[in-house]
Amino acid sequence: MELAGVDPGRDEGGRPRRRGQGELATEVLSVLHRAPGPVTASWVQEQVGGDLAYTTVMTILSRLLAKQAVVRSRAGRAYVWSAAADAAGLTARRMRRLLDTEPDRDAVLASFVTALTPEDEQLLRSLLNAAEPSPGGGSRGDGR
Amino acid sequence: MGFFVFLPLVLPLTSLPIARLAEHHLHPRNAVRLLSWIGVTMAVCSTLALGLLFVVGTAQIPGNPLPDSWSDPEIRTAVPFHEAVGTTAVVGLVTVLTACSRSLRRHLRIRARAQRALAPMSPSPAPQGPDLVVLPDPEPYAYAVPGGPGRVVVSTAMMDSLDADEQRALLAHERSHLANRHHRYLLAAQLASCVNPFLRPLQKAVGYATERWADEEAAGSVGDRRLTARAVARAALVTRGGGPAPSFAAFAAPGPVPRRVTALLSPALGEAWPPPASPAGLAAMVAAAGTAVSAVSALNAAVALLLLVKAATPW
Repeated sequence: MELAGVDPGRDEGGRPRRRGQGELATEVLSVLHRAPGPVTASWVQEQVGGDLAYTTVMTILSRLLAKQAVVRSRAGRAYVWSAAADAAGLTARRMRRLLDTEPDRDAVLASFVTALTPEDEQLLRSLLNAAEPSPGGGSRGDGR
Repeated sequence: MGFFVFLPLVLPLTSLPIARLAEHHLHPRNAVRLLSWIGVTMAVCSTLALGLLFVVGTAQIPGNPLPDSWSDPEIRTAVPFHEAVGTTAVVGLVTVLTACSRSLRRHLRIRARAQRALAPMSPSPAPQGPDLVVLPDPEPYAYAVPGGPGRVVVSTAMMDSLDADEQRALLAHERSHLANRHHRYLLAAQLASCVNPFLRPLQKAVGYATERWADEEAAGSVGDRRLTARAVARAALVTRGGGPAPSFAAFAAPGPVPRRVTALLSPALGEAWPPPASPAGLAAMVAAAGTAVSAVSALNAAVALLLLVKAATPW
């Protein structure tokens, strides 16, 4: 594996050494950050190093999941994992692609607001002025 | 059958007055429910009428797959101007069914894509609630995504442009869409307008009324109409530029967002139905009568054709 040279999980002799629980979690997270996309637990196990048991990887991933540092989703019969920060970015990109390619989405996904014409914008600014909390705190009579 | 079969095709015109008056005279919840029911019933009747005319129309097509007896001269003469009408109905029904299925497929596709996009996001521990998904995006947007658990998707740009109270109003608005299943009404109205173009104004009115409904619920939930108005206005002002190009109709009347803000700045509309003698009450009754006549006509025509087909069938 090409990462073996820089793998912090091995000492200079390339021999596996014992690592603390926190160190392992950090390492698993960094593996997930390097991953090309959502990956399986066995992929993580492979990347972290040969001496780590699959169940240990699963335990670490579950703990990270509880801390919301990673997210998982179902891919077929297995779960795939990714770092939480990446998940938000990935989701944002997917959402944007959806919004950009589906001009008629507003009938399906209820949007908060729709586009304004210049006239609407003008009107809205004057309405907004009326809606701003008045500085004196006196309530304006709603006499329209 | 006679002329009765044509009534369901034109009676959706009776829904135009209420579609126009609902905005100012009905509570948005009542408006959404009434207009959706009228739209769906009229659309079903209109499709049924078109289907009956289709049967007559296919009689002219040599080698059509329907039973031979269905092209009996008696059936054909049951409809006035059966040749022109029949051909039009064949084209019409095919067009309608294609438009409906395209619309439905698009609806399902967009929903599925949105849900797939949001799937990796676990329920957030944010204080605003587990159904909220805030996405890092410089483009301001906010959507309610219906589904198993409905999600509210808001971009960071939208969140940043509103203060904390306004954010609460926005979330309450989107949650109202989810809780009241507004997407079902929107889909029903959209399919109805595919079936009969006369129902298009009704679709627009339903779309606007669902937004008003959510606005009213948001105002009730944050307890401040003016704050909700401000949230809508602010969000719209940062959103400008995106979305579909405005139409020329916008010259005459203000668009939906200024109308929503104006409505929120005015006193709330009561939930009571307008009195029957008022314009809105009359319009509602005209539409209800139109719906009833259209249902009766469609049924009448269906039974008439059924009897004719039965008489013409040799067994």
